[in-house]
Order: sequence, then C-alpha cells, then structure tokens
Amino acid sequence: MSLERWPQILREITGIAGVRGALIVSTDDGLVIAESAMESVPTSDVAALTSALVSRARKTAHAAHGAAPRTVHLTASEGTLLAMAGPDPLWLVALADPHVELGRLRVLLGDFAVSLA
Amino acid sequence: MNEVSSSASSRPQGLAFLELGERLRQRGQYEAAATVANAGLVHYPALADAHDLLGRIRSDQGQDASAISAWRAALECDPGHVGALKGLAFLSFRGRDFATAERYLEQASRESPHDLTLLSALDKVRSARPASAPEAPPQLADLSSGLLLFDGQGMRLTGGIGPGSSADVADAAAAEGAGLVREAGRVTRLLGLGAWQHLLVEGADFRLAAIPVTAEAFLLVSRPSSMPAGRLMATATRAGLAARDWLERMT
Repeated sequence: MSLERWPQILREITGIAGVRGALIVSTDDGLVIAESAMESVPTSDVAALTSALVSRARKTAHAAHGAAPRTVHLTASEGTLLAMAGPDPLWLVALADPHVELGRLRVLLGDFAVSLA
Repeated sequence: MNEVSSSASSRPQGLAFLELGERLRQRGQYEAAATVANAGLVHYPALADAHDLLGRIRSDQGQDASAISAWRAALECDPGHVGALKGLAFLSFRGRDFATAERYLEQASRESPHDLTLLSALDKVRSARPASAPEAPPQLADLSSGLLLFDGQGMRLTGGIGPGSSADVADAAAAEGAGLVREAGRVTRLLGLGAWQHLLVEGADFRLAAIPVTAEAFLLVSRPSSMPAGRLMATATRAGLAARDWLERMT
C-alpha cells in the first residue's frame, strides 16, 4: 500500500462514531507516523504510551505462550484503546469512547493494519 | 458411474480414488462410493483422507457407528486431521453432545486457525448448548486451568497458563503480567480514560485477558484463539469473582 493511502485509512477509522483518533505508531521509538484525531487527543502521548503497553504485552505473551501479540485492547471506564500490529514496527491505534461500535472497529482496524505494508 | 470413473482415472497421479469416491458420495451413490474408498484403503491403509472419506459416506448413510470408527481410524493415522475432527464434531452435535462437539471443533480450529467454517461451526455449537448447562467452575489452583492469579509485585498467587505449561512458565508470566497491568493503569491515568477494566492481548494462536481482581491482585486468563474475544471476557469476569472469593478465603 502506498503512503498516500494512510491518511484515507485513518479518516475511515475516525469516521466510526465514537472514535476520537486514529494513529499509525512506530513502537520502536513511540513516535507518531501518521494521525487523524480530534484536537483534544494528545497523539504524541497516545503513541508513547501505546508503545510502552505493546512492549509489556509482548513480554507477557512471550512468557506465557512464546509468541508475539497482534492485538492489544485496553478497556477503561471512560474510553478504550485498541492497537493492532502492522508491518514491524508499525501499529495501527484507535482511541475511542466507551460506547464505540467495538466489533466494527476491530474488524476495520484488523483489515487496515495488515494492509499497511 | 462410468463417466465419473473414467474422469478420475484419467488423472496423472495416484489417489484419484479419493476424488472418485467423493464425487460418488455427492451423487448419493453411497455403496459405490464405499466400494471405492475401501478398495483405496487396501492400498493405502494409513491414509487419513481415505478413512475420512469412508467416514463421510457412512455418516451420509446414517451409519453413525461405522462413521465414528472410520474417523477415529483417520485420527490414528493423523491426530490433527481436520476432516475427521469435523466429522466427529458433527456426529456429536447431531447426538446433542454439545460439549464433545465443541472440544472436537476447538481441536480442529487449533489445527486450522484460519478456517472460517470451523469458527462458524463453533459459534453454532455454542449457541445450541442449552442455557441451563452449567460451565465447569473455575479451577484456580490448577496449573492447567489457564487462570493465573498474581499480585502487583509479579508474584504468582495460584493457577497457571494452561494445559502442558509448567510452574516456571506461570511464574514468568506472572512476573511480566505485573508489568503489563502496571502499564495499563499508567495508560488509562495519563490519557484520562478512567479506571481500567480489562486488557486483551491476542496473538495468532492465543488470547490473554488481564483484569484487576483487587487493588493488589490481578488475573490473567489464557485461552486458544478459537475462543471468541467476547466469550473470553465473560469467562474472565466470572473467573475474577472466583478469584476474589479465593483471596478472601486465603486472608
């Protein structure tokens, strides 16, 4: 997929009701590669924190199953963070409200994450 | 029959009897299909596909006992034969033994994780299970339970990662799990997401769900990827209640 498609992908994700922002993150260094988000979303913080969470998830998955995670999904009382692995080290991340259509978001993110290559 | 026979025998390589038998079965010519399958088995007695074909023929004929024998023979040749596992699951389902059907389908799904028909069949079996059928209570103290309770310092309190895993693996997962749940708390706090409720980590063959049980104790639930994420969360919630009871009894 060409890089020109990335902004379109991010806009499609943020088009789902309840999604506050979507980012492509490099988990090697915790930096934002591309983003589409509401102004209130601190995308740099989201990228850095998601990278740290993915790193911890990776260590736990290796300890438990000797395998790498493809999806990390954190649910909290006032929001949800969903991250799916693309071509290493990229992860596609969405930050959303608690009432977001989660099933649809998971499917869309999964489809787009693998197509980032 | 002649038309089908000549078509299959014109194939350049062996094992054409499998295709011939299958086509006869699909036409409803069961005895002819069985004759072909049995003749093939004379030459290839260790060929799981041939036993599987015979299983399908006998199942279509309503000869469930013969079908089961054939599919079990297929599994003796190839323990992960998906066709045989699906066949045995189907017969179990038809006999309303939903738990056994689910077990066969879960095994098949582990062998062929990207087979959507298996996931669909699993959903069907699970939805057919009577609502009153109780699930086995969580066995927290069992290493093979896939329920791992640990404290905020990464010390294992009880449980393990699942069948075949050791205490060492469970200890290592607890140690790393503590870091994971600490990070989950940090993420939700710094992003203003409120209290974290659960964390799902999914790989190609596994799903892990982490939930807080108390302020100082956490539960990691490990299941194969064949278990749907929603069901895993329901399982984790239920196991969390059992874990809280366990902690209260211990203190």
